[in-house]
Amino acid sequence: MSEAAPHLRLERLSRHYAGAPAPAVDAISLDLPRGALLALLGPSGCGKTTTLRMIAGLERPDGGRILVGGQDVTALPPHRRQMGVVFQSYALFPHMTAAGNTAFGLEMRGLGRAERARRARAALEMVGLGALAGRRPRALSGGQQQRVALARALAIEPELLLLDEPLSALDAKLREGVRDEIRALQQRLGTTTVFVTHDQTEALAMADLVAVMNAGRVEQLAAPEEVFERPATRFVATFVGRAARLQGVLEPGGVLRCGGLALRSATDLAPGPAEAYLRPHRVRLLAPAEAPPPGFDNLLDATLARRVYTGEVIALETETAAGPVMAELHAGADEAWRGLAPGAPLRLAFRPADLAVFPAP
Amino acid sequence: MRPSWMLRLLAALGLLVLLAPGALVLVVSFSAGDFLTFPPPGFSLRWYAALFSHPGLMAALGTSAILAALVAALALLLGAPAAYAIARLDFPGRDVLATLLMAPLLLPTLVLGLGLLLVLQPLGLVATWPGLMLGHSLVAIPFAVRIMTTAFAAVPKELEAAAWTLGATPLRAALRITLPNAAPGAIAAGVLTFLVSFDETVISLFLVGPRLTTLPVEMFRYAERTTDPLIAALAMSLIAFALLMVAVVERLMGFTRAMGRD
Repeated sequence: MSEAAPHLRLERLSRHYAGAPAPAVDAISLDLPRGALLALLGPSGCGKTTTLRMIAGLERPDGGRILVGGQDVTALPPHRRQMGVVFQSYALFPHMTAAGNTAFGLEMRGLGRAERARRARAALEMVGLGALAGRRPRALSGGQQQRVALARALAIEPELLLLDEPLSALDAKLREGVRDEIRALQQRLGTTTVFVTHDQTEALAMADLVAVMNAGRVEQLAAPEEVFERPATRFVATFVGRAARLQGVLEPGGVLRCGGLALRSATDLAPGPAEAYLRPHRVRLLAPAEAPPPGFDNLLDATLARRVYTGEVIALETETAAGPVMAELHAGADEAWRGLAPGAPLRLAFRPADLAVFPAP
Repeated sequence: MRPSWMLRLLAALGLLVLLAPGALVLVVSFSAGDFLTFPPPGFSLRWYAALFSHPGLMAALGTSAILAALVAALALLLGAPAAYAIARLDFPGRDVLATLLMAPLLLPTLVLGLGLLLVLQPLGLVATWPGLMLGHSLVAIPFAVRIMTTAFAAVPKELEAAAWTLGATPLRAALRITLPNAAPGAIAAGVLTFLVSFDETVISLFLVGPRLTTLPVEMFRYAERTTDPLIAALAMSLIAFALLMVAVVERLMGFTRAMGRD
């Protein structure tokens, strides 16, 4: 096995529940390098949890293969797969202490009592819970239970770490901190990890690779920046981040004719009916006499329709000849624009490459 | 809304009707007289003293207690795996099995007892420990299965899945994770099956003999021959014992939950 071989490979993995009109997971293929963190991102029912459960061995695929380190594990039962799984509900054993939970996997591996205790202790200390080793899950907070679940999964030094929405049961304040801790721990240990989430911020912040899933298929598998800045499909453009949709007709040379305007894009799509997505953070506001910066070849006259103050960012909804376009101001950097009221005229500019163009559905 | 006085009166009347015989027996059991009369001519503990020095009844009490303990153990041993299969596994005929396991509860015990007699007589098992255990287990196992099914179903499946991913085989996961979390149910099932066997009369009537007899049968015979308050003292002792057992279960998990009625 060469160094470059993927640690995890899914080959046309499928799962079709009896009686369901469409497969839950539809011939998914992907490669994950050793040590990387993959986020399966998608709306509920997109098949991301089913995919994770198939990797863990808790769900039997109807077709396709799962390879770990080049070995086919598709037919292996879960107890022979060496997967550390953190369940959404944590699934801690209520009749065991934090240390007992963490040592359970080691006991199943036939380790001696002293070695078990030592390694369970080390795993709990790694997640900052060494002092609470003697507590039962009932006596731990949600965040602490989450850490015990993580320690338990990591204590067996798993081949893969699988996390099923591990942050969804935590309150918003806690979530960000735990998210960064999990990522730091994962990078320090170099554990290849698959992480299921419906939260794009989580996926973008934690993952090396994001697989955006919809209706049982992977719409795009790429690095977070790539997914956000260059969505491969219409679904990705709308599910990840916010974007304004401009409908029109694509002409040769990548010109989108839209509400009487000719917008330049970098697309190489064939001419025909098309729609384009434009993210608010790509849109530049120009002062009345300001010349657009180099490269900002698309200029739009707009009228401010609504202004939404969200703290750090002030979201602007504008009307243009091409349709509604969103822009945003940063509360700190863009002081000059603060007093804008609805009805104010605006000039907007953006680069051709900022338009993500797809054929009309 | 508070219940109206009409409803409360009705409830009180109902309770009175239900509890009056028990209260009557309670009073009579402390009688100082020689006969089952109400009101008793005086009060004493003489019938309790007589009860505990009655060799026939005490021997039958011993038999019944040991038999009930054996039946409870057997019912749990056989009932728990069946309940686990019904609660957790998906196999063809699962619903049929569940129904079949409940079937002895639907048959009149008179029919069961007669059937058992016809089968056990030629085998020479009448009035033996194995014969009685078999008969009592037949009615005790459905209770054990019912309670344990509820108890197993209440343990989240994810716990077992987590144990598998940590390297536990399905059997070890069931024994180390699911079973301990269903322990209150197992205790309740043990207590209830003990009481079922301990109180079982009709089937026992067919299966006992001079060599081996159980307490309810012995009580029945005693009450046929004699009319002294000894039988009331015995009844009160048994009620007190049953209440104690129910209190233990209630304390552990709530009796109604144990019965699978929620």
